[in-house]
Amino acid sequence: MTVEGDDSMTTTESRPLDAPALEVDNYLTYTRGIRSWILTLDHKRIGVMYLISVLACFLLGGIFALLVRTQLVVPDGLIMSQDEYNQAFTIHGGVMVFLVIIPGIPAALGNFILPIMLGAKDVAFPRLNLFSYWLWVLGAIFLVSAIFGGLDTGWTFYTPYSIDQNSAMGGVIPAVTGAFLLGFASIFTGMNFIVTIHRLRPDGMTWFRMPLFLWSLYATAVIQVLATPVLGITLALLAVERAFGIGIFNPALGGDPVLYQHFFWFYSHPAVYIMVLPAMGVVSELIAVHSHRHIFGYAYIAWSSVAIAIFSFLVWGHHMFTSGQSPLMSVIFSFITFSVAIPSGIKVFNWLATMYKGAISWNTSMFYGMGFIVLFIIGGLTGLYLGVISVDVHLHDTYFIVAHFHYTMMGSSLIGFIGGLHHWWPKITGKMFNENAGRIAFMLFFVGYNMTFFTQFMLGSHGMPRRYATYPADAGFQTYHIISTIGSYIMAIGFFTMAGYFIASLFVGRKAAANPWGGRSLEWQCTSPPPHDNFSEQPAVGDCYDFSVLRWDDETNGYVWREDVAHPGHESEHTASS
Amino acid sequence: MSIVGLLATAKIGEATSGGTFWMPENASTAAQGVDDVFYFINNINYFFFALLVLILVWFAVRYRSKPSEHTTFTNDAPVHNTPLELTWTIVPLLIVGVLFWIGMDGYLHLVDAPDDSYPVRVTGQKWSWTFEHPEYGVTEAAELTVPLNRPVRLLMTSPDVLHSLFIPAFRVKQDLVPGRYTSLWFEATKPGQYRLYCTEYCGKDHSKMLAVVTVLPEDEFQNRLGKLAREYEDLDDKDLPAYALNRLYNRCASCHSLDGKSGTGPSFKGLWDRTQKGSTVFTNGKTLKGMMGPGGEFEVPENYIRDSILNPQHLIVQNYTGAMPTFKGQLKQRQIDAMVLMLKNLDSLVDENGNPIEAPKVDEVEVSTGADQ
Repeated sequence: MTVEGDDSMTTTESRPLDAPALEVDNYLTYTRGIRSWILTLDHKRIGVMYLISVLACFLLGGIFALLVRTQLVVPDGLIMSQDEYNQAFTIHGGVMVFLVIIPGIPAALGNFILPIMLGAKDVAFPRLNLFSYWLWVLGAIFLVSAIFGGLDTGWTFYTPYSIDQNSAMGGVIPAVTGAFLLGFASIFTGMNFIVTIHRLRPDGMTWFRMPLFLWSLYATAVIQVLATPVLGITLALLAVERAFGIGIFNPALGGDPVLYQHFFWFYSHPAVYIMVLPAMGVVSELIAVHSHRHIFGYAYIAWSSVAIAIFSFLVWGHHMFTSGQSPLMSVIFSFITFSVAIPSGIKVFNWLATMYKGAISWNTSMFYGMGFIVLFIIGGLTGLYLGVISVDVHLHDTYFIVAHFHYTMMGSSLIGFIGGLHHWWPKITGKMFNENAGRIAFMLFFVGYNMTFFTQFMLGSHGMPRRYATYPADAGFQTYHIISTIGSYIMAIGFFTMAGYFIASLFVGRKAAANPWGGRSLEWQCTSPPPHDNFSEQPAVGDCYDFSVLRWDDETNGYVWREDVAHPGHESEHTASS
Repeated sequence: MSIVGLLATAKIGEATSGGTFWMPENASTAAQGVDDVFYFINNINYFFFALLVLILVWFAVRYRSKPSEHTTFTNDAPVHNTPLELTWTIVPLLIVGVLFWIGMDGYLHLVDAPDDSYPVRVTGQKWSWTFEHPEYGVTEAAELTVPLNRPVRLLMTSPDVLHSLFIPAFRVKQDLVPGRYTSLWFEATKPGQYRLYCTEYCGKDHSKMLAVVTVLPEDEFQNRLGKLAREYEDLDDKDLPAYALNRLYNRCASCHSLDGKSGTGPSFKGLWDRTQKGSTVFTNGKTLKGMMGPGGEFEVPENYIRDSILNPQHLIVQNYTGAMPTFKGQLKQRQIDAMVLMLKNLDSLVDENGNPIEAPKVDEVEVSTGADQ
């Protein structure tokens, strides 16, 4: 039985008849040539193109991060002028947020994995998927071009600074155009995922049998579709205001600069969850698969994703406790903000409970999963200080905030992305990476990370404001800055090590089995790398966290179905027949 | 001691070092409350962090399984437990409920200034602070003098972009928003000097938009403000240039150097010379020379200086942008006189490197720092 509309979803590419016979037909070798990639409708190739683009942007944003850290080693600034520093942190923030973290998991990993996890041949709208990729590239070009036009507004584009021709440099309009286009790419991807999850689930995969990664992608997609248009219209207004002076945000023309902050955070707070929810989904997979233990509290984790998605729309005002909004609003936003802590806590407790009585592999992917939990606990607990209004007043716009959001956005979202990349690397490339190198890189990252950002909590609570190119020499900040900078270099070494063993694995890596880790969701049932059509016939679905049906197979270096256990679909209580 | 000198004194370093591992010295009535809540949350966080990480490490070690060992898996551990789920939903809910209440209570205290607060008007503009004391008719720049043990209310606005006034030792912060007033209040509890920062990004010299808060006991405070109120009225004309250099120039210092280096604006060194000769060229292509003289826009060169201070967007010098804010309403006529005199006599006031030559004459009020009390 096929899923409704499945036939029409088949991609239009076909192998030329005279193509030489291939040993193993997979999505990488199915067709050849540049055109077969740039015009591909295959979700896997689009996912890989996103992945390469996102990693390139990560390198760019990372270089600017190191420049920023290097500048702050001495109070007067080591390498940059005031203006150059302001551009460096703006580019770092803009690239990392809009080009790395937001598209990282949904667009790169999600595109590759989501349809395979569903046992589908592709996403619901393959052409829209390709369009959204190229729209993303165009947006990225605009945003990055702002480096050359000069952009010194910070990634937040706060008014009236950004609309004042005498203040902000000339890159504002290209940059917001870029962010506008990226927003649409994000909306299209979100719509595509929502429809795909609704329409292309296989027989037997009810909502509460979906892998949790799909739940988190679904919640993310809903936020993307609902919140991103607000960013689009806000940035469009900003561009029009800057170009023509129409007076929406400019107080000199009767506008209201605080209105911009409301609009901006109405998108950008939910965007924080666009960044972290998919990472939570990845971690749910990592912890369950590498502990080889049924996920604990499935329904609670799934519903907590939905709860976070809903709450995320109601807390934007906590970015504005000192902005001049009314005290009553601050109190209400503080109240709702605390409610987000509950579903986040539920996830952490359930992940820990999943490890109980597991068979835990100490491999790189699991380390990233556990690293995520530790860093997310720190990120979450330090959020408590910021929800308490009276304490937030002291900590707002200091390095405490910088540290907090790096723990959530980098320590959590990015680590989820990198953990997922390790987890699905064998599936994507068909090659195994060197586990020892992976564990060493993780340790370098983890130590460097905490050196870099934990010190920044102290900097902030002692009053070091953010976005400072220089700082007073006698205020006691320098020691923390030096430790932080050394940490960032250690982290960089970790990331370059990672790049090294990933690239090496492509050439010398052992061939990956279909199921090297012992995963149970559908992507582990097709070959690594997957064939062009993912599955020759619709796979049967069981309980995607029941690992007892698998056994290790020495021949393939991977896990296979136990001979003494029936496949679902033959006679299983788990699922309807296929 | 000049204000520029004051900024560099070690006293501030001492004030900073008076803090704890997590917090800087506290010197206001609000600070203790904020710190108490901070440390309360700290304790909760240490407990939960230690608990969760211990569980994580314990499970990771206890249930470690080498790949050679896990050839098959059992499925006998529980996969859900409703009482457990309810526990870790309700307990955190109660904790954050308490935190919310404490935070709201402290915040509402921060919002409402007492009726008898001492008023100060604050203007933050790129990239300097101006503090006006309406009760004394005194304007301070880069330094805010406030009385000890008396509530002070700052009424703040900005003529250009967002800024934010932050005094870590008092645990207070509030954005300045162009087109509206915002306010904050504090009551200082320790005499001394404390740093004041701009914490809302405002462009190029954001990190140099600093000031110092000086807390003085009531009698010293009144004494000092009284003296400041009269200072430029009482001065001889010959002392005006030094007064401008010591008391007014710090509002110009982030953009206009004294040593000839170009900043955001032209250096003050040689500025009077260029003005007199009319050699200045503007962005509209005109030169100053063509606008001077009887019947011209500027009858005497002094008028150009005056116009540049009060109406800086009118003529912008070539190779610079119109970044300068107006000082209209902030400087009295005699203070503008002093600025003109300072520019005229700059060579006798500062050396080649822009450092003051003679000891400043005006600001001789002893500042008690509290550190020696």
